Amino acid sequence: MNNLVQTLDSVDFLKMDRRTFMKAVGLIGAATFLGSFKSQIVDALEFAETKLVWLHGAECTGCSESVLNAGNPDIVQALQKLNVNLVFHETICAEQGIWNDGKLVNTADLNSEILLEETYKAGNYILVVEGSIPNGPDGSGRYLVIGNKTFKETLGEAAKNAVAIIAVGACATWGGITNAASDIEKDTDYRGVAFKKADPTKGMLKELGIDKPVINIPGCPAHPDWVLLTLGAVILGKIKVPEDLPAVLDQYNRPKVFFSPDHVVHDNCPRRGYYDRGELDDQIGGPGCLWKLGCKGPYAHADCGIRRWNGSVSLCPQAGGPCIACVEPNFPDASMPLYVETEDKGILLGADIGTVAKVAVGAAAVAAGVHAVRRMKGE
Amino acid sequence: MKANGNPMVVERYSGLDRMIHIIHAAAMLTLIITGLKIYFGWDFMSFHTARALHMFAVPFLLVVNWFLIPVSIVLAAKGGILPRFMHFWDHYIFGPKDAARMAGIIGNFFGKGKYPAFSIYDEASGHYKTKLHPLMKILIVIEGLAIVVIAITGIVLYSLNWSFLGLPIASWILSIGGLFAPAFGLSSLEFLRIIHLLMTYWFVFELVVHVGILEFDPHVWKYYKAIFWSGKEDLTDTHYAEVVKTKNH
Ligand code: SF4
Ligand code: SF4
Repeated sequence: MNNLVQTLDSVDFLKMDRRTFMKAVGLIGAATFLGSFKSQIVDALEFAETKLVWLHGAECTGCSESVLNAGNPDIVQALQKLNVNLVFHETICAEQGIWNDGKLVNTADLNSEILLEETYKAGNYILVVEGSIPNGPDGSGRYLVIGNKTFKETLGEAAKNAVAIIAVGACATWGGITNAASDIEKDTDYRGVAFKKADPTKGMLKELGIDKPVINIPGCPAHPDWVLLTLGAVILGKIKVPEDLPAVLDQYNRPKVFFSPDHVVHDNCPRRGYYDRGELDDQIGGPGCLWKLGCKGPYAHADCGIRRWNGSVSLCPQAGGPCIACVEPNFPDASMPLYVETEDKGILLGADIGTVAKVAVGAAAVAAGVHAVRRMKGE
Repeated sequence: MKANGNPMVVERYSGLDRMIHIIHAAAMLTLIITGLKIYFGWDFMSFHTARALHMFAVPFLLVVNWFLIPVSIVLAAKGGILPRFMHFWDHYIFGPKDAARMAGIIGNFFGKGKYPAFSIYDEASGHYKTKLHPLMKILIVIEGLAIVVIAITGIVLYSLNWSFLGLPIASWILSIGGLFAPAFGLSSLEFLRIIHLLMTYWFVFELVVHVGILEFDPHVWKYYKAIFWSGKEDLTDTHYAEVVKTKNH
């Protein structure tokens, strides 16, 4: 494998044909691939001409902030150099829609709503969705209305002619925090673009009758590398949509290169040595492994341990926070309670299996004691 | 079946039976202790030693359960398929007679009646008609299923991409786990891991019942000797044992 990596290191990524590219990604895995080709992907972005529409649904804009915080490349560098036309991004764009008596006024140059409509009509753009899409109340989608248009409707219009759709962050992928279990959950009925919780039959596109593949980049927030490198590969046509998607995505539409089915955060956690030695902290703030504090690193399929965050300096468990498996389907419900060990969740009619086991073994031991006394007395 | 010398001393467990039991017990104890060490982080041994021992014990347990026990059952009776099957049925499957014995045992536990004999030797045929404690017959079936479940879930914990002959077994198991996990608000991997732990607790429970309730009695200690060492039972000791003579055998 080392030889292959060395060979590929000297290959010009841009000149590599698609088949070789796909093979390379498959063979050398996430870390090596990115280590080898990250800068080339970034360079390549400069030559791309595809338009990009970035829509915001119900969310906190954390994923945009995460991308804005990207380093090497940072988003400003990338935007300055890129030939990618970022048609619309609510947080970055200055201009917004202007209505007069309920009608859009002015031209696309001054009114981003008109710009969007024209872009949708022209097609040939990549759609990035950040945030979930409310379907409630009663399927109307009116819990999120922008310019008298429901976001559900906006997504339908935007998705129709998009050449590729990328859902960024837990909200756009599964519904995320907006869709967490609650008393109003049924009424608000938040959806991800292609999934609702872990259910692929209830994504908003299905609800709208649009049959288009979606690449999911989960995370709360998503890592800037995951977003930019996926965009880079799609824009360059190194990953062809939809032909290559079955090979590069897992069953939850996550790129396997970042969300490896075979690896979890726990595999490369800097605290792993403590886990291996059985030094499991029971209070926050210690140096040990955070498993007993509810760390979900053993279940989180993400490369955070290798890639690290904030300019590659840290990741959640390293900084002292148990991993909450923010990349997993049905986050955050699947990770709740966040700081309770999975085995201590009350899944057996509210009781955790440890308690059930203690009661059962204790009862058996008491019965054994009584039995022993009786038998010894010859009763 | 009769052992040399005293005609009342018979072979209760063959050499193969004893070997199976010893390997099974050793593998099971190793798996429980190292598994719980990994889970609780007990510090009497390193994680790597615990994991290595855990993985070392797995093939022993599986070979015993999925190969040697079936072989021993088949070899224990003579004749064609039917007699061998009947032997298996009488010896290992909880039937109406076992239910009656169990009722007697429960009654005795609460101070009513005598503890019934569960080890029945047929003098005419020179074979046991049945010899396991009725509770054991229940435990054995659950244990067999538990071993299947713990082995399957263990594959995923061992390696998320374990495959056999090119078949992606681990990912199949994860997919199957994914069918049930959402009902408990868990991911497939979490679900499989919890089931693995639950089965471990089952084995601890079974061990307490097996050793504590079935065997914690000075009169049963003869069976310890039989299963671990001699393999023989002295039928003159009538505690829990009964000798019958079946006609037309
Ligand atoms: S802190 Fe979490 S991810 Fe890190 S070793 Fe412990 S359990 Fe694994
Ligand atoms: S370490 Fe865990 S919680 Fe933190 S970003 Fe990675 S997957 Fe999410």
